[in-house]
Amino acid sequence: MIDFGFGLARSSAVELDKVDLSLYKELERLEPGIRKCIACGSCSATCTAGPWSGMSVRKLILNLQRGKDVSGMLSACMLCGKCSIVCPRGINTRQLILSLCRIYDNK
Amino acid sequence: MRERFVTGFDPFVLPFLAGMIFVLCYCAFGIVRILAQLPREDRRRFLLSLITPATALKNIRDIFADCLLHVKLWRRNPLLGFMHSSIAFGWFMLIVLGHIEVMVYCPDRIRLFYYPIFFNYFVAAGESTIGGAVLFFLMDFFLLLILVGIGLAIVKRIRSRIFGLRRTTRPSLTDRIGLYSLWAIFPLRLLAESFTAHISGGSFLTIPANWIFRQFLGNDLNMLPTWWAYSIALGVFLFVLPFSRYMHIPAEMMLIPMRNAGLRIRHPRKGFARLEVLSCPECGVCIDACPMSVKKANIKDCTVYLNRQLRRGNERRIEEISDKCLLCGKCEAVCQVGVEGPLLRMEQRASRRYGLSPDFSGIDLSKLQAPAASSQKVLYFSGCMTRLTPAISKSVCSVLSKAGVDYRWIDQDEGLCCGRPLQTAGRYEQARQLMRKNEELILSYGADTLILSCPICYKVFKDEYKLPGVRVVNYMEYFAELIAAGRLQIEKSDICYVYHDPCELGRGCGVYEGPRKLLGKAAGIAEAPANRAESICCGGSLGSLSLDFAQREEITLKSLQNLYDSRADAIATACPLCLNTFARYSDRPVRDMAEILDAAAR
Amino acid sequence: MDNKKILIIGGGPAGLEAARQLLRLGWEPVIVEKTEQIGGHLSRWYKLFPDMMPASELLEQLTAGLEGAKVYLKTRVAYMNRLKDGYSIMLSNGTGIQCRAVLIASGFSLFDASKKEEYGYGVYDRVITNADLEAWFAGASDSRIPEHPRRIAFVHCVGSRDLKAGNSQCSKVCCMTAIKQAIEMKERFPDSGIWCFYMDLRLFGKKYEDFYINAQKDYGVHFVRGRVSEVSEAIDGSLVVKAEDTLAGTPVKLNADLLVLMAGMLCNADTATLARMVRSEVDSDGFLRSRDNIYRINESRRPGVFYAGACTGTKTIPETMAEARAAALDIHNYLCGND
Repeated sequence: MIDFGFGLARSSAVELDKVDLSLYKELERLEPGIRKCIACGSCSATCTAGPWSGMSVRKLILNLQRGKDVSGMLSACMLCGKCSIVCPRGINTRQLILSLCRIYDNK
Repeated sequence: MRERFVTGFDPFVLPFLAGMIFVLCYCAFGIVRILAQLPREDRRRFLLSLITPATALKNIRDIFADCLLHVKLWRRNPLLGFMHSSIAFGWFMLIVLGHIEVMVYCPDRIRLFYYPIFFNYFVAAGESTIGGAVLFFLMDFFLLLILVGIGLAIVKRIRSRIFGLRRTTRPSLTDRIGLYSLWAIFPLRLLAESFTAHISGGSFLTIPANWIFRQFLGNDLNMLPTWWAYSIALGVFLFVLPFSRYMHIPAEMMLIPMRNAGLRIRHPRKGFARLEVLSCPECGVCIDACPMSVKKANIKDCTVYLNRQLRRGNERRIEEISDKCLLCGKCEAVCQVGVEGPLLRMEQRASRRYGLSPDFSGIDLSKLQAPAASSQKVLYFSGCMTRLTPAISKSVCSVLSKAGVDYRWIDQDEGLCCGRPLQTAGRYEQARQLMRKNEELILSYGADTLILSCPICYKVFKDEYKLPGVRVVNYMEYFAELIAAGRLQIEKSDICYVYHDPCELGRGCGVYEGPRKLLGKAAGIAEAPANRAESICCGGSLGSLSLDFAQREEITLKSLQNLYDSRADAIATACPLCLNTFARYSDRPVRDMAEILDAAAR
Repeated sequence: MDNKKILIIGGGPAGLEAARQLLRLGWEPVIVEKTEQIGGHLSRWYKLFPDMMPASELLEQLTAGLEGAKVYLKTRVAYMNRLKDGYSIMLSNGTGIQCRAVLIASGFSLFDASKKEEYGYGVYDRVITNADLEAWFAGASDSRIPEHPRRIAFVHCVGSRDLKAGNSQCSKVCCMTAIKQAIEMKERFPDSGIWCFYMDLRLFGKKYEDFYINAQKDYGVHFVRGRVSEVSEAIDGSLVVKAEDTLAGTPVKLNADLLVLMAGMLCNADTATLARMVRSEVDSDGFLRSRDNIYRINESRRPGVFYAGACTGTKTIPETMAEARAAALDIHNYLCGND
């Protein structure tokens, strides 16, 4: 075979039916409220840690649902609770973050 | 007086004797264990305090007042106070008087420690003396006192509402055994002493009883069985004591000196914390006090049940209870023995292991740093939560401007969290990192005063921050000074407000009267039935980790109802979280103190 | 029993249209309106989407055919008793009415925007609601609206789809109202930038999507998918609006001279009292409960009690008109025994 120096790049698409959701499932069990997210972005806009670190609960939840790593974002939360207050769906975001920090222990 | 038996022994004393020896060994072992669990420095401090005359005296006084007379309980609920002190103090006096009798009449038997308890069985009355009659009278008097107490206790079990308790604890199995044996001890003692009274003598209670019994029971055959029953009841009580709530009796006697020595909780389960847990008498006062108990499902999450689960080591429940609590501190405020419910829970939270932990030590403050040599000597830190209630920060700034204060609002654009939420979640190390960052930032301005409008921030700034040369002050205190200095004129409106004490400001920092004085200058003031240290949490507290939005609603409604009962036109508070929570459900206006003062200031 | 009379509670579009139809069918409707004028929210609105029809024009049409109907203004229902085949009603002005059918058309209330404290309505000088803006369009003066706003921000879903505001339902009309008002503002202030912050755009009706396309294409209105979470005030009195642009995944800030809050629709507080009087039910969404939500939206579970308009849920005006006519026909059939 002649090597042309390029090949097929691996698709960056997340295959929704194959992605590993074990972390999300575990979190869903601990904080079922996570299912209610409508990704409105209130949490991210109000986040105290956001300007320092790019922390965003909305992204966190979405990334978990797509099987992506979220540890970098988690480690910026100051637990100030503003996201819990502004969430229009009443998700207990602080409990969600604390639970997630603990699950990482088992991984 | 003469002894009836040369041996000074009868087998019926054995159940008591065995129970007593067991309890003494158990407690001795427990004391050694708790002492061993204390950090070395604490242990030294405690032992030293025992031989310091001032603290030793205070210990005796406190033990007498709290464990025997139940002074605190008297103040809270006189009927309950009477019930407890009649049993505790009465029993104590019976033991003391028993010893006096033995020392007076047969001093060589004092070594047998069952002798003072069963004195009436072992001696027979001789010629009567004044001293003997007084002793016998006192014995009967205290026995009667205890019997009244026991009677009240039985009534309380059946109808707790008579005692003003809406809900009380459900006793566990060992608690029940202890309870029933305790109820049995004193009636049995009365029976035993009455059956023996024609031999041993007695007083106004036992002699007539003896006379009545002799009318239809012509012999002494009942005597020994009742003494056996009395001894068995004592024995059973002593055996279950370490495994029931009655452990609080010895534990509290140990807790008081340790607290007087200045010891604090250093470990979530061991040492001082263990002693606090054991000192809980499970009286259930915290159940009615707990704002969560408005929902029946939450009753099992009150401090009394935390203590029970900590004794049992039920990890799943300990975690649930610890996470649910609002940390409002009311259970601690009403607790008779001073169990620090919120702190115990924070310690459980802190003892957890996390796979991921934030690290704030690397935060670059240059983004926020003041332009060099800023002239303002007064700083205002509004905190995270106040961004969601801009009415507060706007009013604070407006009042400061009206008074001509040259201030700087340091977190107007961006800021760091004060660290209190992390602290209450048990993430002490991360909280400390944030505090160090905030300290660095605040000191860099070179100011001398820091005004805070959020009591959550205020609590942690006051208790934990090290800001040499900077005075940390709540805005209300600062405004009061401005008024006193004549820099601010306040015009009184005719609206009547009821002031809600925010948990962190009231029970957290002990600020109760200042805000009321200030409010009284700006408007009319009414009091809610539960106020000051008894104020009911708004339900929005960040202290709770697991309570979700829907579960908090009933708590808020209960808190609001208490405020409505004052019949005020509007509600005043001094916390962004209370404001946010109340405004959602309240049927009348809710204002922060800053808004009220801004409206009144000229 | 005077069996020609029909009580209509509420003199808004639903009540007026139903009365007009019932008159034509030969009945004698009696309208009870709590305010001093008929028309409800419509009387305070300027123009209606999607045709930009003046609200006053619709109101004129509605009132034109009302001769013969009795209208009580500034009047409420004091109490209502169920009779064997009808209702005996006492009004707050002392009038007693007996009738066989009652139509509840009590409508909605606008969400009190000051309850969303973070948006600063009543705190900041440059924050208004959709209703304030309509009043200004209609000619009222409003010192909060600057002479030359450089940037205007619209916040959708204020008190709608928000558990924290006590209303988790969508108010249906706010997306379109925001777009309509954005266009009207752009026409008045061609140099200003207009920004709509939305959670989801719900443009379901006839011509709605076209309206949206126009706003983008012809007026250059900017749409940002993200719910505004905080508003602060700059030294010059302008507002700093904070949101997350959730599509770009980045926090955004906008310095705006005017913030317009799209206050949502809640069921009138009085409606619950009315429901108690006729022993009808309030649904889990806070509005009145119909027999079902598909086939018999106009009917309550009580004989002779009918509903029309926003008392059973958020409605657009075309929907309200259709419901009012349907209710009139239902009542007619009920009274004629045509069931």
